[in-house]
Amino acid sequence: MTIGKKAQAGTLQSSDLMVFVEPAAELTVEIESTVKQQFEHLIREKILEVLRAHGVAAGRVRVTDRGALDYAIQARVETALRRGAEE
Amino acid sequence: MASPPAFRGARGCVTIPPMIQPLGPSERERARALVQAEGLAFDLDLDDLVGAYQGGELVAVGARRAGVLKMLAVAPAHQGGSLLGEIVTELVRLGSAAGHDAFFVFTRPAHAPSFEALGFTLLATQGRAALLEWGDGLGRWLAASRPLVRDGANGAVVVNCNPFTLGHRHLVEEAARRADTLYVFVVREDRSAFPFDVRLRLVREGTSDLANVRVLDTSRYAVSALTFPAYFLRQADDVAAIQMELDLRLFARRIAPFFQVRRRFFGTEPFCATTRAYNAAMLRLLPALGVEPVQLERLRGSGEAISASRVRAALRKGELEGLEALVPPATLRFLRSPEAGAIRARLAAGEERHA
Repeated sequence: MTIGKKAQAGTLQSSDLMVFVEPAAELTVEIESTVKQQFEHLIREKILEVLRAHGVAAGRVRVTDRGALDYAIQARVETALRRGAEE
Repeated sequence: MASPPAFRGARGCVTIPPMIQPLGPSERERARALVQAEGLAFDLDLDDLVGAYQGGELVAVGARRAGVLKMLAVAPAHQGGSLLGEIVTELVRLGSAAGHDAFFVFTRPAHAPSFEALGFTLLATQGRAALLEWGDGLGRWLAASRPLVRDGANGAVVVNCNPFTLGHRHLVEEAARRADTLYVFVVREDRSAFPFDVRLRLVREGTSDLANVRVLDTSRYAVSALTFPAYFLRQADDVAAIQMELDLRLFARRIAPFFQVRRRFFGTEPFCATTRAYNAAMLRLLPALGVEPVQLERLRGSGEAISASRVRAALRKGELEGLEALVPPATLRFLRSPEAGAIRARLAAGEERHA
């Protein structure tokens, strides 16, 4: 899957996250989280896992997290990727 | 349609929250009523206006103008729920699609926690107003500026330079002499006769020989009294004073420490009442915030202080002669170039929006 255009998924509500994806030459993942201190590495790992599963090797992924659990992270990232996927 | 109950008792089924939807021109009066009932001012300077209905009644509204969210109001009976978050989510979604990646909101300090719960960061607060941002634009701007940071007792000037004159040059030179590194922050806000990229370029060219001067883009984080909308304040509030204080608190608390700025320099202001008030605010507020305000005497040329407004007045009259007494060579070259033709024409037509 390739990120071909800007896309977004998720909400600002508690226990959710908002994911932005946009095309870029390299893969970058920026994380903002209420639980960044404790869990940034786990959130990043989860996001990278979803990106790998979809074969995404390039793009800018920006996440603002409000303490979302793994399955929410997976669902939101997948949705953002599908919305931003090149046809 | 009657309002559905919040819970359906025995069935234990929670009501579906109202959908956030765009509000059309015919719904503006309802939006106005709700916004005004919450003590906010309503205006039509906006890109998006959204709201939520429940039982045929408009219970929440919010608007966006570029990267600023405003007129966020939830009817009292519906406060404390998820409506604010849903309105803000929709506005952030629309704003992101329009190319913005950070969003500001101005609110009363008492409401700041509601926005912090949605992931906003408090940028500055004073007695009656708070400025918050979503998307950590400030953090990203500071991180991008990190390569320019030098250790030392540094100074800063914040300037619009519309366009860069010998007066600005004098201010920068004098300030640079009093600082290890002098940061020249050029106001990004594009409400001036000279567009931002031209203003920035002329400042860079006009100071390139000064070794300890670094020229930066302010992004939206310094002296944007212009960008600070007053919509959420009542008419009686001293809006300009509140904006200036927020601006200075943001500068002193978040920007100055990052750049190791100990002193903020500015010129005496003979003409503009707003700038004079801003200078007075710096003298009054900055010392308590850990930054020393230093007012420097303006450079005078043929009696009157040299100012960008004098340059624009000359251009307005089509007078290109005599400008060398007011501006340095790089600015003069630009003013005489074909590239400046459109700006000269706009000035001559009197279309200037702001000094």
